[in-house]
Amino acid sequence: MVIDDSRAMRMILKRIVAKLNFEVTEAGDGQEALDLLATMPEVPDLALIDWNMPNMNGLEFVTKVRADPRLREMTLVMVTTESEQSQIVRALAAGAHEYVIKPFTEGAMIEKLALLGLVPTGANS
Amino acid sequence: MTLSAADFAFVSAMVRREAAIVLAPGKEYLVEARLIPVARQVGAASVADFLANLQRRPNQADQRRIIDALTTNETSWFRDREPFSAVTDVVLPDLVQSRASSRKVRIWSAASSSGQEAYSLAITMEEALPTGWTYEIMGSDISTEMVKRAETAEYSQVEVNRGLPATQLVQYFERAGAHWRITQGLRRNVSFKLMNLTAPLPAMPPFDVIFLRNVLIYFDVATKKSVLRNVARLLRPDGWLFLGAAETTIGIDDNYERVAAGRTSAYRVRSAVPTGAARKG
Amino acid sequence: MSVETVVKEGDLAEMVEQVWVSYLDPEGISPLITTGDENQPTEVHSSVSITGSWHGHLVYASSTQAAKRAAAAFLAMEPEEVGQEDISDVLGELANIVGGNVKAMLPAGCFLSLPTVVMAPQTASYFPAAERISGLYGVWDGESVSISMWQSSSDLQKGEAA
Repeated sequence: MVIDDSRAMRMILKRIVAKLNFEVTEAGDGQEALDLLATMPEVPDLALIDWNMPNMNGLEFVTKVRADPRLREMTLVMVTTESEQSQIVRALAAGAHEYVIKPFTEGAMIEKLALLGLVPTGANS
Repeated sequence: MTLSAADFAFVSAMVRREAAIVLAPGKEYLVEARLIPVARQVGAASVADFLANLQRRPNQADQRRIIDALTTNETSWFRDREPFSAVTDVVLPDLVQSRASSRKVRIWSAASSSGQEAYSLAITMEEALPTGWTYEIMGSDISTEMVKRAETAEYSQVEVNRGLPATQLVQYFERAGAHWRITQGLRRNVSFKLMNLTAPLPAMPPFDVIFLRNVLIYFDVATKKSVLRNVARLLRPDGWLFLGAAETTIGIDDNYERVAAGRTSAYRVRSAVPTGAARKG
Repeated sequence: MSVETVVKEGDLAEMVEQVWVSYLDPEGISPLITTGDENQPTEVHSSVSITGSWHGHLVYASSTQAAKRAAAAFLAMEPEEVGQEDISDVLGELANIVGGNVKAMLPAGCFLSLPTVVMAPQTASYFPAAERISGLYGVWDGESVSISMWQSSSDLQKGEAA
């Protein structure tokens, strides 16, 4: 699931994860994402989450997801311009598994996902 | 200072032939910009000189350097992952036994470039060495510019996105303006030296682990042999040598044997490997 | 307090270059080339405002063609297919990304607004209480693009008085 209020950024992320054979759903903010997740029979393996969004920001979304037993298995990756050390620490403390700072190259995003064991090909732990 | 039409044509033809890279005309300034560090690296006075030499005496190594410089090539932390996992899972347990009296590990990152490999090794040590143990990492490179860069230990936002877990970013780096700099605590254990691997190397205490990755590919067989010989002199008899993914000592230096190390291979000096030593796999 | 000492032009240039490398020119064949021409004409612009410990704006401005090209790169379309909404979204995101990176270099306690996009040339009249303090001016495949930092005039006055 790709969660960002910028359609352009959602397109970029969609393209990258589609290459890794993911099926992609989109949401424009945290609330929309939660609403969508409530209707989905299968919980996505991965969520790529922007921080600054209207209605519910990425940090709140992460906190809510980690508190929900049904959603706990989702891997949560922040993808955001927030790049202060303290912000990264906050996100990881809230339960985000990884953090990608914008701007990111395609290679960097794929490597981050590989770190999480989400990339199908190639030797990886 | 711009590339001559003839030089541009030479480079375009070569990279198209060797690597299927297509350079559109009008990109002379870009090619020039990318080749300046390469020219400096090989000690040429200018890009024009570098190309003139190459045209006079074609050689694979310089062609390789040009190709690498023109492909958008980002270096990465923990490049290829597996050698670093091998250090944690195979090498350290071995050293914890064999270095029990000194409780110290010495590692050499040969051809350390901007330092990412050396600092990746330092992070690996911080996370995997038992308490009470110390480590020393030496990085070396043939370029003064690279040694300086590595010592400064500052990396751009785009560079730290690449292959570095976020938990390690916040633990081992701090913001420095637009960049991220390795913390003093980590830098303390890493030093850098100017060194040319093809020349006789200065005497120094030998290393337990040597990373010589993606260096040999630039050399012809004779030079590969002499580099491996030079490097062997600085490797402990039971030490571990790691090469790049596509590299091997086989066919070049019989004094090494390849051993399995986790999901990758390492090389150890043949005669001195004690029987029953950590040949996992 | 002037931001020049905190965010140097070199830093701004580097942030902008990284946006090009990541999204607009991943192959490295059409970078943004600085010209230093502060007076180059623009046709569209976007901005984010920064508030809190520092007050000002981060502004992206360019020709319509450059904006279309940027949108095309993000959305994997042809520049001709790009619509107003696409341009608006992409320009906003560009201001957001550079603004976010700049914010990280400013004193702690700054906030970024949502982006504003205006399909008109960028002029000082859009930022009446601020002055341009730093900027990157260049061409991208022949089209004008600029990224500039503006600081609120009252901030600047306080800084000078100090």
